[in-house]
Amino acid sequence: MDFALDDEQALLVATLRRWSEKQLRAWAAEADRAAAAPAQLWKSAGELGLMVDAVPEAAGGLLDGDYSHLARALRGYELGRGCAAMAALVESNVEPALAVARWGSAAARDSLFSALGAGRLAGFAHDFYERLAVTADARGGLAVSGRLGPLPGLAAASHVLVSARAGERPVVFLLAVPAGRAAPATPSGWRAAAWGSLALERFEVAPEMVLGGAAVEEILAWYRVSLAARGLGVAAAAIEYAAAYAEDRIQFGQPIGRFQSLARMRDSNQTAIAAARAYVLQAAWEIDRGAAGAADTASRARDLAAEVVSRATIEAVQIHGGYGFVNDFPVEKLMRDARAFEVLGGNEAFARVLAQTTSSRGGA
Amino acid sequence: MDIMHGDPMFGAAHQMMHALAEKEIRPIAEKHDREESMPWDLMKKVRAFGLGQSAMLEARRIAGDEDAEGEKKPSRGGRLAVVGVEELAWGCAGIALAIGGSSLAAAPVGRIGNEEQKQVFKAALKGEDEKGRVKVAAMALSEPQTGSDISSLATTARKDGNHWVLRGHKQWITNGHSASVYVVWAQTDPSLGRAGVRGFIVERGTPGLIPGRKETKLGIRASETAQVHFEDCRVHQDMMLGGPGPSEGLGDTKKMLDSTRPAVGAQAVGIARAAFEYLLERVRGGTLRGTPLGGHQHVAFALAEMEMEIHASRLLVHRAAWMADHRMDNVSFASMSKAHAARTAQLVTTRAMALLGEEALEPGHPVEKWYRDAKIYDIFEGTGQIQRRIIAKNLTGVNAI
Repeated sequence: MDFALDDEQALLVATLRRWSEKQLRAWAAEADRAAAAPAQLWKSAGELGLMVDAVPEAAGGLLDGDYSHLARALRGYELGRGCAAMAALVESNVEPALAVARWGSAAARDSLFSALGAGRLAGFAHDFYERLAVTADARGGLAVSGRLGPLPGLAAASHVLVSARAGERPVVFLLAVPAGRAAPATPSGWRAAAWGSLALERFEVAPEMVLGGAAVEEILAWYRVSLAARGLGVAAAAIEYAAAYAEDRIQFGQPIGRFQSLARMRDSNQTAIAAARAYVLQAAWEIDRGAAGAADTASRARDLAAEVVSRATIEAVQIHGGYGFVNDFPVEKLMRDARAFEVLGGNEAFARVLAQTTSSRGGA
Repeated sequence: MDIMHGDPMFGAAHQMMHALAEKEIRPIAEKHDREESMPWDLMKKVRAFGLGQSAMLEARRIAGDEDAEGEKKPSRGGRLAVVGVEELAWGCAGIALAIGGSSLAAAPVGRIGNEEQKQVFKAALKGEDEKGRVKVAAMALSEPQTGSDISSLATTARKDGNHWVLRGHKQWITNGHSASVYVVWAQTDPSLGRAGVRGFIVERGTPGLIPGRKETKLGIRASETAQVHFEDCRVHQDMMLGGPGPSEGLGDTKKMLDSTRPAVGAQAVGIARAAFEYLLERVRGGTLRGTPLGGHQHVAFALAEMEMEIHASRLLVHRAAWMADHRMDNVSFASMSKAHAARTAQLVTTRAMALLGEEALEPGHPVEKWYRDAKIYDIFEGTGQIQRRIIAKNLTGVNAI
């Protein structure tokens, strides 16, 4: 067992930490206000090779060999420390790219990779609450009705990888977003993440866009680890800001961080973040090794991380007091940003309960 | 109602306020949250039928002083206030604060102001301001360096002839940008410590009174919060609350907080109930994996937990208000009611969002708004930490740090 980062990982962390602190944090407040990421994000992320790192080299991307989910988790944490919304955009292409490369038809690969190569965006949606009605036709295609989203990136996306249920059967398909059909939306959190929703009325998905044999749980594991890592980055940023504030802010003749209740609040959050981060990295490591329990570890890690980021951001605002409630300080944004980590793709605690009480395997 | 509210008056107040919240407040809540604007039209409308018409009356009610029949008879004002504001906050906490925000300033005037000061304050709130809006008042106490520790104010009042000259900056002031009259707290004599802090009535337009920028906030966005600056602002000595002699000064303010805290807790209960009811509706109508949502323990027990916490919070709020009405020492119960309700509002809104799933990320979703609104209840009017200090000191006699 070795907990040390190798040289490549250490370089990745150092590079992204610098980028995240210098760029993402500098852009975050204005991007939040304007509900749009700055144009420099795409250029800058592109230069770092972040947008097509999961696209195979042969298809115009940067992926040579196996994708490292451990590297992605390390990166997600750093991006989350910068800005949740921009982190979501930067991470958005990974699930569609990996799933389509692995299970997609030649047509699906062409469609997605040519778009990503041209600088377009893709996203992933898991229909946990069964809001989509999906029926299979005789040719192996699908008809999809319902509303997809709101989903980060959808307003700017050319493709969405969708995980849903056709009756009892899980299905995964690549949906090419008809130009101009996604309705932009601006929720309260991740405001700069180009949210959108798409109304579908018996929308036809061609057979070659259905990813036959795709392992939903595996895709979800990638997604959960990424969400968890980014969420913990947000949690870490919140507590970093709160700790700094608590040292500066004097009330009753001493820095408020010296009051035991606030010291403990900061301290237990730091413990929770460190523990959850280690668990998320373990999940990513298991995925990379193809370990049998990897999907389950990923789900547990996300369950834990969602709780940690929720509590950390709420308590970071609490430590800031009245300043935490106004947008002069960054933590009120982080409290808004925290929610999506808990609910995107379904509530993880609920998902775990369902998995353990309805499957014959009994989970774990 | 419950055991403490057999009086039909409480039921009538509840009904009236609920109707107002449902018909007038709910429909405009999303808009004012999104625009971060005060509901001036509604404020005018509710003033026309008596609500908030005289912030002074409100203050006396909260202070428990309104009964003409004599001091022995218990007041009903505290309980009326908590029953009413729970409903208003159920509609929208920000709008409830916009409607009731002036009472923060009216409370000290009603309690320690003399007749002349009360007349000046009342007159300053009559009619409409230059923009045709209802006139509002602001209580200016908190400062950039003075949040929880209200005895260390940096704003000073220096005596100059018949006037006091105010200098300093105030922060997080409700109605701070738009008020027609301010109650400003300043240090008149640092050697007296807390007793040197006195309140002054200052009317808008007084030279040196400079309303500052409005804050962009996480929640309660329909209620205006702003900075206020005092640059050699001259106030006549007659406008010092409590008169020229020695006064309890800030001690009065602390007492005031004991009577207003249950009403603040009641607002948090209103937010929690709103989120709970929304979730309950969804659960009643939904199914998942072929089972009604309410048939999933994961969801059903969460509802049960919320129901327990909301009722427990409300009982504490009503108990603290009942004690105030009976002129009993309610310091600890006032703090417990406020702290418990704040925690409940945060728990319920957070959990409700998690259970609603992606739906709660829809722009303008009410539960997401209530999640943002709830947070301030653990911060303003004494943070959760300050409340626990008070409760603990009541138990141990020691100030815990």
